[in-house]
Amino acid sequence: MSDAKDIPAHALERLRGLRGEGHPGGIFTSDFSVNEFLLVRKAGFEPIGLCIGSCIYHVGIQYGSWNKNQELEMLSQAMYEARELAMVRMREEAAGMGADGIVGVELTVKRLEWDEHILEFMAIGTGVVHAKGHPGFKGPKEQPFTSDLSGQDFWTLLHAGYRPLEMVMGSCVYHVAHQGMLRSMGNVGRNTELTNFSQALYDAREIAMERMQNEAIEAGAEGVVGVDLHEGSHNWQPHVIEFFAVGTAVTPITSEQDASVIPDPQLVLSVNS
Amino acid sequence: MSLLGNILAGMFGGRAPRDSGQSAQRMAEWDAALQHNRLPSFVAARLGAAAAGKTPWIATMSAAELGLARRRGIRPLAMVSGTCWYHYGYSWTRGHAEGWHHALQRLQLEARALGANAVLDVKLRRIELTIGDSMDFTLVGTAVRIDGVPAGAQPIVATVPALEFVRLIEADIVPVGIAIGAQYQFLDPGVGFIAQSILGTAPNRSFSLTASSAARVQGSLRPFTNAPLPELGQFWEGIRRQALAELLRDGQRQGTGVLAHTHLGQLLKVERGNNSPPRFLGRHIVIGTVVDTRRASGVPHEIRTVVDMRDALSPLTRETPPAHNAYPVREQEGAI
Repeated sequence: MSDAKDIPAHALERLRGLRGEGHPGGIFTSDFSVNEFLLVRKAGFEPIGLCIGSCIYHVGIQYGSWNKNQELEMLSQAMYEARELAMVRMREEAAGMGADGIVGVELTVKRLEWDEHILEFMAIGTGVVHAKGHPGFKGPKEQPFTSDLSGQDFWTLLHAGYRPLEMVMGSCVYHVAHQGMLRSMGNVGRNTELTNFSQALYDAREIAMERMQNEAIEAGAEGVVGVDLHEGSHNWQPHVIEFFAVGTAVTPITSEQDASVIPDPQLVLSVNS
Repeated sequence: MSLLGNILAGMFGGRAPRDSGQSAQRMAEWDAALQHNRLPSFVAARLGAAAAGKTPWIATMSAAELGLARRRGIRPLAMVSGTCWYHYGYSWTRGHAEGWHHALQRLQLEARALGANAVLDVKLRRIELTIGDSMDFTLVGTAVRIDGVPAGAQPIVATVPALEFVRLIEADIVPVGIAIGAQYQFLDPGVGFIAQSILGTAPNRSFSLTASSAARVQGSLRPFTNAPLPELGQFWEGIRRQALAELLRDGQRQGTGVLAHTHLGQLLKVERGNNSPPRFLGRHIVIGTVVDTRRASGVPHEIRTVVDMRDALSPLTRETPPAHNAYPVREQEGAI
């Protein structure tokens, strides 16, 4: 457990109680549903333990110019760094328990009710290990892989000939200018595009995408699957919006499967619904 | 990088904020791009690298879809989007139709830059920010290339995810695009109602209401009377029919059928005060997926019927929200 130097003593205690190499009598913990558990096993993996990383972060104040479209870099950086810290701590736990990776990672952001500037970031998932000790499933830099795919999707991904590397993300907090709509009062009665707002959304989305893609390049991925691109406002003023892209970077499995052996799904119709 | 840039880079741990000159240049590029229907250089560069396979592909596909796509020779390239922030001045209804049309053109522009054959899993979206009488119309999807199919001038725009896309293609049904129909009319009791078609092609029908029918429209019938309100009914039916007719025309330009999943209809009574009688506003928007298929082609798939033994919450019977549905929108007041 050489990687676990930053993990507190009571957490180490918990890790020692888990099933793993040298601890066949330990138990495992997991938030898998029954079906997820079955499919992760079917994929040849065993759950070891729940991995948690959290980060409580004070997000500084940054105001955008009233009439300007601009990224609020300080907020982008805060949202990015806080998520990253939570993920790193979760991965440290996984490395400490000897996991090959973490599946079903849930990444949540919550505002603490007593201070609008403090956000709680939490990452939680189930650490898994290859049942026969196959060494080829680790993520980049021999670290455990991370993935937000469910246990079912993990099985399916492996059957599609890919393995997960790392959750990749890109964040951009953007201030949308106030001015523009009434740039000419003559526009009020017209149906017309407000191009400066269109630009703001394009620019912010583009920046978030670029950042996620850069992470994927760094992870050495072939592609990013299950990308979710969404917008959110974490109690900021209404013109400040976060564009957040997240997905799982994947790479083909070492012994690449021929595409023709990928199972074709069978259509079923439930007749008693 | 400037000296200031170097200092900032140090402060931000290597992630330097874009300096204002850079960001002004970006804005100028966006400005020119939106005006001349082209892409800013940095977007073109990103899409170019993705098309050449120099950067990782990006896909909204699930793991199952990735496998199926790979088996069928469908390769994801990148996510593409189209956005148009639209202000509805004289017409809310028409603004919606035009906003979606613009967004669609821009999505296709990005897809063409990739040399894509299709954009799958296209979702109609809007962000939660309403500024005055305006909102954004955004389409996001995954651009793909299909092995053995040359890049066409007009990539297919499919609102279905890859899983359904493959099933449809196998059954000789090609989802090709999005069709939109939108229509609004005012009913002004006593004056007649003014029909306005969004494309300006519908005849301007004008109805004059008699005093008794005006009373019916205004609902001033005695409370214990059972009676249909034919004028109001006819008015409302007309709006829906014209919206559907426009959907049909938009669909005819693209394919052989429209699966219309999204309907939004509102019939509003507008009080005007000053002893003026109230008027009625009817508006209807319908959006659908255009498909191209031959009549009576068979479906090659075997379908197994199963009896699901769960009492509730079966994944087979659970309702999933339609992926491409941006409505219901919040009720918008103000301009129509």
